Order: sequence, then structure tokens, then C-alpha cells
Amino acid sequence: MVNQQLAQNSTTLFHVAFLTYIAAMVAYFFRLAYTRVSADGVTASTAAGRRVGHLATALAAAGVLVHAASVASRGLAAGRVPWGNMYEYSSLMALCAVAAGLVVVQRRFGYGHLMGFIVAAAVLVMASGLLLFTPAGPLVPALNSYWIKIHTSSAMLSSSIFMVGFAATALYLVKDTAERRVAERSGAGYGGSTVGAASVTGAEARPEGYVDDDGQETTVASVYAQRDVLSPVLFPVVPFVVAGVFTLAVWRAPLAALIAATVAAGLGLVSWYAVPYLPPAAKLDNLAYRTIAFGFPIWTFAVIAGAIWAEEAWGRYWGWDPKETGSFFTWVFYASYLHARSTRGWRGRRAAWIAVVAFVALMVTYYAVNLWIVGLHSYIQ
Amino acid sequence: MTQTSARPEAGPGAPPRGPRLPAIPGPLETLSAAWRRLRRMSTALALLFALAAASVVATFVPQEPAIASTVAQWRAGSAGPGAGVSGVLDALGLFDVFGSWWFMALTALLFVSLTGCLIPRYRAFARAARRPPAAGRNLEQLTHHRAIRTALAPPQALDTAERVLRRYRRRRLPASATASGHAQLAAERGRWREGGSLVFHTAFYLLLAGAVIGKAFGFTGQINLVEAKRFADDGAVVSFAETFLAYDAAQPGRFFGLDDHRGFLVTLEDFDVSYHDNLVPRDFVSTVTVSEDGRPVRNGEIRVNHPLVHDGMKLYQARFGFAPRIVVRTREEVLLVDEPVMLGPAGPFWTGSAKVLVGDPDRGEPQLALDLVLVPDAQLDASGQPVIGPSPEPRNPVMLAELYAGDLGLQRPVPASEFDRSGGPVGPPAMLRPGVPADLLGGALTVELAELGYWSGFQVTHAPGRGLLLAAAILVLVGLLPSLHSYRRRVWAEARPEGDGTVVVLAGVALQRKATFTDEFRRLGDALSRELGAPSTSYEGNER
Repeated sequence: MVNQQLAQNSTTLFHVAFLTYIAAMVAYFFRLAYTRVSADGVTASTAAGRRVGHLATALAAAGVLVHAASVASRGLAAGRVPWGNMYEYSSLMALCAVAAGLVVVQRRFGYGHLMGFIVAAAVLVMASGLLLFTPAGPLVPALNSYWIKIHTSSAMLSSSIFMVGFAATALYLVKDTAERRVAERSGAGYGGSTVGAASVTGAEARPEGYVDDDGQETTVASVYAQRDVLSPVLFPVVPFVVAGVFTLAVWRAPLAALIAATVAAGLGLVSWYAVPYLPPAAKLDNLAYRTIAFGFPIWTFAVIAGAIWAEEAWGRYWGWDPKETGSFFTWVFYASYLHARSTRGWRGRRAAWIAVVAFVALMVTYYAVNLWIVGLHSYIQ
Repeated sequence: MTQTSARPEAGPGAPPRGPRLPAIPGPLETLSAAWRRLRRMSTALALLFALAAASVVATFVPQEPAIASTVAQWRAGSAGPGAGVSGVLDALGLFDVFGSWWFMALTALLFVSLTGCLIPRYRAFARAARRPPAAGRNLEQLTHHRAIRTALAPPQALDTAERVLRRYRRRRLPASATASGHAQLAAERGRWREGGSLVFHTAFYLLLAGAVIGKAFGFTGQINLVEAKRFADDGAVVSFAETFLAYDAAQPGRFFGLDDHRGFLVTLEDFDVSYHDNLVPRDFVSTVTVSEDGRPVRNGEIRVNHPLVHDGMKLYQARFGFAPRIVVRTREEVLLVDEPVMLGPAGPFWTGSAKVLVGDPDRGEPQLALDLVLVPDAQLDASGQPVIGPSPEPRNPVMLAELYAGDLGLQRPVPASEFDRSGGPVGPPAMLRPGVPADLLGGALTVELAELGYWSGFQVTHAPGRGLLLAAAILVLVGLLPSLHSYRRRVWAEARPEGDGTVVVLAGVALQRKATFTDEFRRLGDALSRELGAPSTSYEGNER
């Protein structure tokens, strides 16, 4: 009843997509490095940067196609929806995040420089999926309901949207810190990015793919100074510790923890390097808000659908099972973020920190609750 | 007071000098200050944080209503951070966060704060809903404006503008009602941003009401039954009447009385568990008959995700296990016990206990009990050692029966499994295969696994308020979408006669998401130009 050939193909395609994403991530980061910042703060790719940028986009798009084929053949192999265990859920979450990144962040908003980070997040999620690999198989009875199509898919979709939102939030905090410090050092008054989306208009909204061919870049010291005002030590160390401790706590796998921590440290270092090329803090804040505001109703729907399913399966709509509790506090943290964003004195950095906490809560709800804490959702691992 | 009286130079008539004590607010002032503070968004944020933090704690600290056994281990110090830390956790009520008084207080405060925030917003929304769009003034000074020349007369030009702005809430203003002295069309949209937010927040009162009603008037009970097809003649529990006393465990709501039970009879005819090839369970199916007044009224299946609803009570498939029929006889062929015993899962085994003989120890009568361990798929490995096979199905069931004798405390009304084992088992355990009797106590007793069947456990619930909860959940979503994704915009079109035709000044402001309004306004202006038949060169204005 499980088509082994298709299942095998799905796994192969998963690995191909995984490697393609890694290549795309590297290409995106190269594209980042081939960027100049001109006098008015407009970032422009060099000719080489543009070529490598096209390569990165092509790789990411190819990865999405291969990945989609992997997910589809997994579903066909098992004869059910392809999100019945944590491996499949992680895989689909990564796929949605990259697809959302390509369509929304790169195409719609034009922030191609963020894509490296989004693809990197997807790669980490897929790596976690490899740790949780489960052979294609039928669903256990508790999961065998049409609600898995509704509840689990919406939870997965909103998680991937929140992932993109987290990338924007974290980069906003980095960029905002840099902008503030540069402004403080140059003695200029600074009132910019705390206003958030309200101030995003006008000249800085130039397309990013603009090519500066004459080579006469007029770099502005203050823009590159954004890198100098940030400590290059903190950037790799904090992600190293956070990712390492989290992976170790959840999986108890030292090697995986070391790899995750190293990758996270590398990402931290890249974000430090990328500071001058990132879109202005106010725009990153706007992107983060719009992404989270898009994901929040979907997450709300997922929680409601989960309650209805729990009523069908277990005879109570809400029992404070660890997973229910986790989805609840994730919801409350994201709700707090949305409230904070419209509260004077909270918008900007403080709101962004709430969004960071909310994303950590989401990760705890997804990984730690499933793998660490015994509850009614434990069978999903 | 002491400060001023301690100063000798301050005469009785002189005004008090030096630092004065702050005025002590009266009780009403304190109340109103507290009310004002509760209404602040930062207070609401702090309360939300506290709520989330409490739930985070409740995720990592086991909760007594959910997993009481783990909590007991934490308290004893055999699991978790140790007995000392557990004592502190216990004192803080962290083993039952969601039932603790401080969590209730937090929720109550949040709702009070919500009420405080909502009342003025309701009022403002009602006022704004009644008030039609206001006239605009100084249109050229707004962030977005544009002048369009047309050959149409002013009233026709405004008719056209109304068509273009059909998705806005509109109001025609005669020339006499505007500051500029020209007729205007005032339009606005995005009112449901605030309206949706109000619906969203109001829905939480309904959620609370639904939850409280469900808790107060609802009922939850658990009952385990053995299969009637095998055990109907053994006097075993194959059916139960839906009454309070029949349940193995029951959690009635405060206002769910004994008379609220339905009294219908549920019989478990058959239980079936099937597995996939890879030994993952495929389905658990309980076939039941519901009878009323002695007559069967319906047959049905209860499966995971497919409860059976009868007379407002929902029956869910909750648990299952093996039910071996144990027959114990004495050497003299006196039947001591012949009944199915419900075994519960314990790792790869199924374990349970049976009372065999309940004598009065004070009169020297013996008490006998059996501890049973069932291995559904016993196998021999290559070297002939018995091992536990991988299958959860009873492919080769083998059961160990261990006899306890003496004063086992069975005269107390305790479940069979809770007899006193301190005396230790008597003799080696008997190994039983279906239908093959085995000796115990050196042949004084024979024990037989006569038949292997299943028992099935049901959760029975009555949950009023579910409809209300569903409605509230829908309102949460319905309100959330516009509150996040609808944006307020105000647009005016003013018709100024010029020569034979009219100059229509279109102007607008965005109250949120101003970045995208530039595009929206350009599209509006282009559409209006087209509809007015204006030459494309007639564009003038500032679209910043």
C-alpha cells in the first residue's frame, strides 16, 4: 500500500532540493557581497553580483520545483496528505518559506538581499527534518481525519510565514542598531526607524537590482560605518549559543547541535557583514509587520481548527495539552506584537523583540513540545 | 505632619513651609486611577505577557489535571528537578497553572482591561458610523491631490466621481456646505478596520461565556466495557446505563445534576483493532448498541475521530486493551473466579490484576489475588530464549500469572490492582497459554486463560456552549481579517466650474499604510480621468 519506489524518489528529491538550497544560499550571499552602496544610500549590484544573483534566483526556484516534486511524490507514495509526521511537516514548511520568500520578499518587495537568510532558515528546518526522518507510511488513527488537511496545513503555512517574518525582524534589529549607532556617533539626531512603516515613502524606495556599470562607486563612509559600529564577536557567538543549546536540549545530539550552532554562527556573521546592504530599518520593520499580520489570522485559524479537531477526536476542545498550551502562548506573543506595534512607546525595537520571543515560542511549540514533552501530540514524531 | 510640626520657626498662622507630603488619594480616586491604568495598552500588554509566561511554565512543568502520574513523580523527587524544587513549584501552584487562583485573577484582570479599552471605542465607533464623511478643506495641501479638467458640468462630473468611488462610503455636499464654495463628494473607506477590531475583541467575551457554560453545565465521564460477544454470559461489564454511578470516573460540571443523566444503556458488542503491515494501528472500532427502556434504539460504531452522539451525549473511543477471561478453580473443582480482567498497556506488555478470593482476614479466611502480565506475541530467538515479538496483535499470547495470598487488604473497597503486595508472591508464576490450565500453589489451584478478548474505554461528554464557542471563533476570524488588512482612506472630489467645463480636484489622505496609498491614489485618479474623458495632458498635481 506504500509505493516504495515513489517514497525512495521522494527522499532522493528531498536531498537534491536540500543541496540546491545550500547552493542557492551561498549564491545569494555572494550576490550580497558584490554590492556597492552609493552616496544616497542606494545599493547596487556589480555586474558580477547581478550574474550571481540570477544564478541564486534560478537555484532557489529550481530547488522549490524539486522540493515540490519530493513532497508530491511522498504524498502519492503514502496515499495521503504529505504532512503526517514531523519530517514531512518540516519539509513542507521549508518549501513554503522559500516559495514565499521568492514570491513575496524578492519579487513583490524587491528585497533580494534577504533571500539568503530565508533560504538558510529553510535549510536549517530541512536539516531538522533529516534528524526526524520517518519512512513513508499510513497515518495513525488519531491523525486519520479530514481535519489534518485543515488544521495541520494551516499551522504549517503560518509557521513558514512567521519564519520569513522572523528573518525580517532579526535583520531589522541588526540594521536599526547599526543605523542608531552611526547616527549617534555622527551626532545627528535620530528619529527614523522607530516610526516603522509610517515613514516608508520616497527616495529610498529604489529598486535593488540597479546596476552600476561605470564602476565609479561613490561609497559613503557612514553606510559602511554601520558595519564598524557593530561588534563582529557578538554576531556569531549569540546565534551559536542559542542554536546549539536549543538543538542539544531538544535532540540530545551533540554533533547535530554543533553543526546547527556553527551554521547559525555563520549566519550571524553574514548578517553582520550584510548590514550596509540591507534595506533601511523602517522598511524591514514594515516587511516584518506585514508578514506577521498575514500569518497571524492563519495561525488563529489553525488553533481554532485544532480545537474543533480535538473536540472530534478526544472529546474536549481544549485541555491544556502541552501542544495546545504552546500554540496558545505563541498566539498570545504574536498578538502582543501586533498590539505593541500600535502602542506608543512600544513600536519599533521593543515590538520587534516581542516578535523574536514569539518566534522562539513557535519553535518551542513545534520542536520542543513534540520531542521533549510528553503530551497527546507526542505520536507525531 | 511630623515634618512641619518639628519646625519651631513655623508659627501657627504661617503657611506650611518646606517639603509637603503628597496628597493621599481617597478610595474613589485610587479606584479611578487603577481603572485608568488598567485601560492603558501597556497594562494590557503586560497582562498578555504574564498570561503567556504562565502558559510557558505550564508547558515545561507537568500539569496535574493532564498527567497526574508525572506530577506525583516530581513531588516524590523520582523525576524532574527534585523534591525540594517541586515543593516550591507546588507552593506556587505551578502544577495546576490553569486552575490556580492567580491564573483566574490574571484572566479576570485582562477582561476588565479589555472592557475598559472597548467601551470608549464602541462609543467612538458608533459616533463615527452615524456621522457621514465630512467636507474637505484646503484640498491642495493634502498629501495626495490631482486636478482633472473635463467638459462635463459639475453635477455630472461628481456623478462620475461617485461611480469611480463606488467602493467608498460617500456623501454629496452642495456648494453651500463646503469651505471652498464648490460642490464636493466626500468619501471614505476602511471603517471596518476599527469595526473588525471591535468584533474580534468582543468575541472573547463569547469565548469566555461558552467555556464557562461548558464547564458549569457540562459533564465528562469515563467507562470501560468488555466485549459482549465473548463475555456477555460471564456477568462481566459489557454494558452501562448512562447514570452517574455507572461511570468508572466522572467529572460533572457544577450544575450538571444527577437528573441530567440520560439513563440509556450502551452495550459494547464487539471491539476490533487492526494494524497496518508496519504494525502501526490502522483503526480502533467499537461496535455498540444503544438501548432505551430495554429496547435497542440504535447500533453504531465508535472510532477515533468518529464519536457517537446519542441524546446530547457524545461517546468517544478513548482507550482499549486485552481482556483475558481468567478461570481459577481449587483442586476440588470449586470455581473461585471466572471473569474477564481488563489489562492496561505497560510498554510491550499488558498488565492487570484479578481478585480471586476475598475472605475476611480477621476470621482467618484467606485472600487471593493474581498479578497478570500478557505478552501478545511471544517468540523464541535463535538460541531458544523466549523474547517479546514485535507484533501488538495476539499472534502467540502468553500470560504470566503471579499469585499473592494472605491479608491483601482486599476487604477494603479498592480496585483489584491496589492490593497489598508487601508479602511477596507465593511460588513461581504460572505461564499460561489460551485453553491450557496451569497449576498454582503446588496444584492446590488451577488457573486458566480461557479466552482472550478486548475491552474498550469510552469518554462520554456533554458539552453545552459548543455552538457559542464556534460562533465566537468565527467572529474572532471575521473580525481579525479587516482589523489587520483593511486600511482607512479619505478621498474628496471637488467640482470647480471653469469655462464651459469643470476642474475636478481629487485629493486624499491615508491613515494607515501610507506607502501603498500613492499607488491606490494614482489608480483612482487615472480611472476618474478616463471616466471624465479628460485628455491625458490635463494631469496636474502633486502625488507625494
